Amino acid sequence: MKRIFKKTAIIALISVFPYLTNAQCKGFTKKECLPQLKPYVYNGQLNSAVLNEGDVAELLLTFYSGQDYRIFVCSQEMLGNVEFKLLDTDKNTLFYNKDHDYVKFWDFKSNSTQQLIVQVRIPQSEVKSEIVQSGCVSILAGFKE
Amino acid sequence: MNLKLFINFGTYFVTSLHKKIIFVEKFKTYMMKTYKFLLLILIGGLLLGWSCNSSTDSNQIDNDSLNNVKNEHTKRVKKIFYNVPSPIEMASIIQKSGAQYKPEILNSYKNTDKYVNVPKQALILGVYGSDLSYVRLFDQIQLSINYLSSIKKLCDELNISEDQGSIAISRMEKNIDKRDSLLQIMSETYSSADAYLKENDRGNTATLIILGGWVEALYICTNIVEFDIPQNKDIINRIGEQKYSLNNLIELINSYPDDNELHKFIPLLAELRGKYDLVGIEYVKREVVTEKEKKLTTIHSKANVSINKTSFEDIKTTISSIRNKIVNN
Repeated sequence: MKRIFKKTAIIALISVFPYLTNAQCKGFTKKECLPQLKPYVYNGQLNSAVLNEGDVAELLLTFYSGQDYRIFVCSQEMLGNVEFKLLDTDKNTLFYNKDHDYVKFWDFKSNSTQQLIVQVRIPQSEVKSEIVQSGCVSILAGFKE
Repeated sequence: MNLKLFINFGTYFVTSLHKKIIFVEKFKTYMMKTYKFLLLILIGGLLLGWSCNSSTDSNQIDNDSLNNVKNEHTKRVKKIFYNVPSPIEMASIIQKSGAQYKPEILNSYKNTDKYVNVPKQALILGVYGSDLSYVRLFDQIQLSINYLSSIKKLCDELNISEDQGSIAISRMEKNIDKRDSLLQIMSETYSSADAYLKENDRGNTATLIILGGWVEALYICTNIVEFDIPQNKDIINRIGEQKYSLNNLIELINSYPDDNELHKFIPLLAELRGKYDLVGIEYVKREVVTEKEKKLTTIHSKANVSINKTSFEDIKTTISSIRNKIVNN
């Protein structure tokens, strides 16, 4: 009976885990990430997800000419050095944070309006383990008035 | 006789006891099998649910992967986000292009009570965001307060909790005279509402707000300019450049395939995209300069927007028709 109860408890935990992680992720963005975007005005669109090591996420947005933008990639510490690139629509790399000590935010200015892609990549863990590391990642865009 | 009866009874008792034991054992085995079976079903269901969740998240990616089987890069992308300029950003863009003040084209803040269902209220919340951003540009303090009050009312109607969505609005009386503070209040209100709705699996409602805001902003832009006046060239180019954001908006709506309210707008936006197909944007790439000390990258490039009067008028008519569908009941 005890064993059955134990197993049921484990199953219940497993079933609610994804929802708990997701809710945690959103709370994380609001508390840990948004304050760091200042003095830029947050564009108001929450782009956050729970990602696993090796995963890639992309944000498609338009940079308008004459506007100053800040891209901030905010992630939980256990994910390590999260890489981010700014790509044009032909997938040419315009900026790579790996070249700047995996900096979490960078400012951009475009002389003309164009569609751009922020690509984020979670590094693979160097230690081989059966448990895949996962955590919250938010890609935030801010602009200056 | 008694002894025989006793022995018979004893035999019967032992046999039935044995049967009971066998029955209990069989029942236990059956229960264990059933339990294992149920456990397998539960785990299977969880895994299926998990994969379904993942496939919803990566709906776009799956489609892309099917279209580009050879594209290894696309296969690895787990999540794609689409951003559309917020009402505040749109206002900032048109401000720099020299906007004119025409308050009569806005949707009155007094109309709040006309909108009773959730999708409509969400769309109008976006519409009021753009109207407020526009009147703020011209320092219309009283009108800003009125729009903020209507926004607070809609936040309440949409059950966007006090601490998440509308607490910032309660600060308006103290800060309304400061233009920057008003910007901060607006930014906090809309970003908190977006976060709250997404946290509570109401991303579709958040998308309706974005849709309403973008449509109203483009409607304002097209209705405050005359095509033939040379001074309006900048703002007309900005209208042409919305071609990119329109595509992002359509993709954003498509990421909610089961939402009928959002999908009602797809044919209308597709019609608008048809008008935008005639807007040409010629793009010339130049060097990209990164200044490490300033943490700044400047993308030097040139884009020539070509939009003729017919295209402009077609865009204006189509966006007005979409906007009227939103604001009229």
